Amino acid sequence: MPKRFRQLRLAAVCRLAAWCAASALVPVAAAQAPAQTAISAENQLKAVFLFNFAQFIAWPQGAFQSLQSPIIIGVLGDDPFGPYLDRVVQGEKIGNRPLVVRRYLRAEDAAECSILFISRSEAGDFDRVKEKLKGRSLLTVGDFAGFARLGGMVRFVTESGKIRLRINVFAAKAVGLTISSKLLAHATIVATEDN
Amino acid sequence: MTFPHHPATASRRPRAPVCRIALLFFLAGLGAAVPRAAGQAEPVLPPPDDLKKLSVDQLLDMVVTSVSKRPEKLLDVASAIQVITGEDISRAGATSIPEALRLASNLEVAQVDSRQWAVTARGFNDLFADKMLVLMDGRSVYTPLYGGVYWDVQDTLLQDIDQIEVISGPGATQWGANAVNGVINITTKSAKDTQGGLLFAGGGTELTEDAGGRYGGTLAPGVYYRVYAKYTDRGNSFDPGGQNANDAWRTGQTGFRVDWEAAGGNVLTFQGDAYDATMGQVGPDNIRANGGNLLGRWSDKLSETSDFRLQVYYDQTHRRIPGTFTQDVDTYDTDFQYHCVLVGTNDIVCGFGYRRQDDDIANFSPAQAFLPPDLGQNLLNAFAQDDIALVPDRWHLIAGSKVEHNDYTGYELEPSERIAWTPDKTQTVWTAISRAVRTPDRADVDLYAPANPPYTIAGGPNVVSEELVAYELGYRIQIDPRLAVSISTFYNDYNDLRSLEPLDPPKPFPVVRSSGLVGQSAGAELTADWRVTGAWRLRAGYTDLRASSEPQPGTPDRSANRSVAHDPNQQFSLHSLWDVTPEWQLDADFRAVGPIGSQSVPGYAELNLRLGWRPVTAWEFSIDGQNLLHREHTEFNTPGTRREIPRSVYVRTSWRF
Repeated sequence: MPKRFRQLRLAAVCRLAAWCAASALVPVAAAQAPAQTAISAENQLKAVFLFNFAQFIAWPQGAFQSLQSPIIIGVLGDDPFGPYLDRVVQGEKIGNRPLVVRRYLRAEDAAECSILFISRSEAGDFDRVKEKLKGRSLLTVGDFAGFARLGGMVRFVTESGKIRLRINVFAAKAVGLTISSKLLAHATIVATEDN
Repeated sequence: MTFPHHPATASRRPRAPVCRIALLFFLAGLGAAVPRAAGQAEPVLPPPDDLKKLSVDQLLDMVVTSVSKRPEKLLDVASAIQVITGEDISRAGATSIPEALRLASNLEVAQVDSRQWAVTARGFNDLFADKMLVLMDGRSVYTPLYGGVYWDVQDTLLQDIDQIEVISGPGATQWGANAVNGVINITTKSAKDTQGGLLFAGGGTELTEDAGGRYGGTLAPGVYYRVYAKYTDRGNSFDPGGQNANDAWRTGQTGFRVDWEAAGGNVLTFQGDAYDATMGQVGPDNIRANGGNLLGRWSDKLSETSDFRLQVYYDQTHRRIPGTFTQDVDTYDTDFQYHCVLVGTNDIVCGFGYRRQDDDIANFSPAQAFLPPDLGQNLLNAFAQDDIALVPDRWHLIAGSKVEHNDYTGYELEPSERIAWTPDKTQTVWTAISRAVRTPDRADVDLYAPANPPYTIAGGPNVVSEELVAYELGYRIQIDPRLAVSISTFYNDYNDLRSLEPLDPPKPFPVVRSSGLVGQSAGAELTADWRVTGAWRLRAGYTDLRASSEPQPGTPDRSANRSVAHDPNQQFSLHSLWDVTPEWQLDADFRAVGPIGSQSVPGYAELNLRLGWRPVTAWEFSIDGQNLLHREHTEFNTPGTRREIPRSVYVRTSWRF
C-alpha cells in the first residue's frame, strides 16, 4: 500500500474511533445525568449498615412505648444518604416493629429515635449534641474523625477503599444498649478518651 | 532579592497577543462543547435489596472508593492529572514501567527498540525527551547528562506499585526543574500493604524470562518491611530489513523498604534498590549499566492542620557504553516540605531543597567528548504555594512560585496561578497560567565533537534555560457514579529552545549550541472512565496535539532537527477490563497512534489482550499477547535508525502466600 495513503487512512481511523467513542458516551451521559442525584457507593453501603444495625442491637426495656412501636433510624444534620436510605428501609420489619426513617435539624428532636446517624455537619457541635441526647437509649453512629473516641458509639472509617467499624462499647453500655457479638467480632473496639 | 533574567529575553520576537487570546477563546469554546473523558469512576454496588442479604463481613469486604484515591487535593482536580493504579498495571499485563505508562492517554509513549523508549507529555518527544520530570518514590531519575530518562534501568516490582500519577502540563512550581511538559510520579506501596509472600515466573517470545519474588513481614509492632528481587531477560528487535538488531538485554534488581508508623502521625520510611543490566548493541561489546539508591523519609503530623516531610536520598548510576563513554553519576538530595492550614481558608505548602550531582565521564570515542569530563553541580530551590478558598467549596485560587538556583544560569523563577470553579461536587472548571524552565544539561553545554580540536561543535557556552509559558483550561465531571469524563486543553509558548549556530559568523564552523529557536504547541486531552457494569470497566483517551518550532528571525540556526517535534498529531486508546466470572478476567488494550511527520514514521494501530485465571485466591495464571495486529511495527525514529517491534506472547504464573 502506498505510504501516504496508509498515513491518511490511519489518521482517519484515529478520528473515527474517537468520534465513535464520543458519540457512544454522550447519549449515555445524557440519559444518566438527571436520573438521580449521585449517592456514592461509600454512603450507599453506610445506609445498608444503618439498617443492619437494627438487627444487632438489643434496646433496654422501656426504650419503646409499645411492642409495635417503630424502630426509628434518624439522620441529624446534612443528609448524605438522600432517598437511598428510605429505599433500603422500605417495608422492612424487625419482629413486629416496622422501620422508619426521619431527618432532624435539632438534636433535641432526635431523642425519639433508636439509631441516629450524626452527620459531619454536626462535628463541630458534637459536645452539645451529646448533652441533648444524654441518657437516651439510642445508638449513635457517625463517620467524622474522633467520633467513637469522643463518645459516639459506632464510627465508619474508610480504609484502603473498604469500610471499617470502630465501636465504643462503653458508651453503648452506659445507656443500656447491648451490641451483638456478631457485630463486635468484625469491629475495632475503642474507649472514650476519659475512661 | 532580584532574579536576573537571561539576556536572550531582550531579543525575543514580538508577540501576537490577539492571536493568543483568540486561541484561548477557541479552546474555551471547545471545552464547553465537548465535556468528556478522564478521572476515575467510582465502584458500583449491587442494588440495595441484594446488599441487605449480605453478612457483615461480606459488607465489610466491599470496595466503596477507588483505592488509589488519596485525600482529595484540589490541585489534582484542577490540573490535567491521570492516575494509573497498581491494579490497572496488572490488568494491562504491563511488564515494564514504560509499558504501564501507555495507560495514561496524556502521554506519548513510543518503543524505540528492545530497551529504549521515548516518553513525553505535550510534544517534543525524543529518545531522551528532556522536558519531563520523572520521580520514583520521591527520587528524581532523569539523568543530568541529557535531561532525559534511561528507561531501561527504571524498574521495581510492578506488583508493589501503588500508583503512577501522570500530570501533563507544567508542574514546576511545586515539583521543580524539568517539570516543563509534565510530571510522572511513581509511588510504591507502604511495606504495611505488602505483607506476606509473592513468587512469580513467566516467559514468552520477546520477554523470554521474567521471574521474581517479594516477602513482607513485621520487625516490631508498627514496623513493617519487605524485600524483593527480580530478573528479566528480553529478546531482540529487528531492523527494517528483518535482521536481528542485536539489542537483547537482561537485568536483575533487588531492593527493600521499611515503614515505621510510630504514634502521633510519625511515619519513617527507609528504602533502597540495586540493579545490574547487560544490554546488546551494534558495536564492540555489550553495554553494562548498574546502580543503586538509598532513601530516608520522615513525615510527621504536628497538629490537625499542619505537617511536614523531610526526605534525604543518595543515588548512584554507572553506565559503560563500549566505544562511546563510561558515565558515573552520584546524586545527593535533601528536600523539606511544610504544609499548614491558616485561618481555615489558606492551605499553604512550602519547602526547600538542595541537590548535589557529581559526574565522572571517561570519553572513549574520537567522534565526541564531554568536556570537562568531571563536573560537580549544585541545585538549590525554595517554593511556596497557597490554595486560597475565595468562596469555600466554590472558587479556589492556587498561586505560588519556585525559585531555583543552578550553576549554569543562576536564578530561575517558576510561578503559576490556577483558578478552579466547582459549581457542585461533581464538576470542576479550571484554568492556569504557568512559567517553567528546562535548565541546561551537560549535553547542551559541554558536549564537543570531535573529541579533540579543531571542533565542529564546540559545546554551548551561551545556552540559557528553555522557557515555557503555558495556558491551560480544563473541565472534569462525574456525570454519574459510573462515568467520569474530562477534557484538558492547552496552548504552550516556548522560547530559547536549543539551536546550533556558528560561533563566529560568517565562518560556518565551529558551531555551538545556542538558544535560538521558539516553539508553540496546542492540544486537547480527552478521557472517559466508564463502569459499564460492576464487572466491566472501559477507559478511553484521545489526545490531539500540534507542536512546532522555528528559528527566531535573524538566528542563523543550523540544527535542522535538534528541537523539531517528533509527535503524532492524534492518538486514541481504549482499555477494557472485564471480570468474566470471579475466576476469569479478559482484558484488552487498543491504541491507534497517528504518523510522526518529522520522522516519516507511519501511523499504526495495535492491540494487547490478556486472559487471567485465578482458581483460588493464592494462585493466578495469565496469558498475554502484545502488539497482536501486526507481525512487526515501528513506533519511532528516522528510517535509517528505525527498529521494528515484533508481535509477542508470554505466559505467567504467580503465587501469594
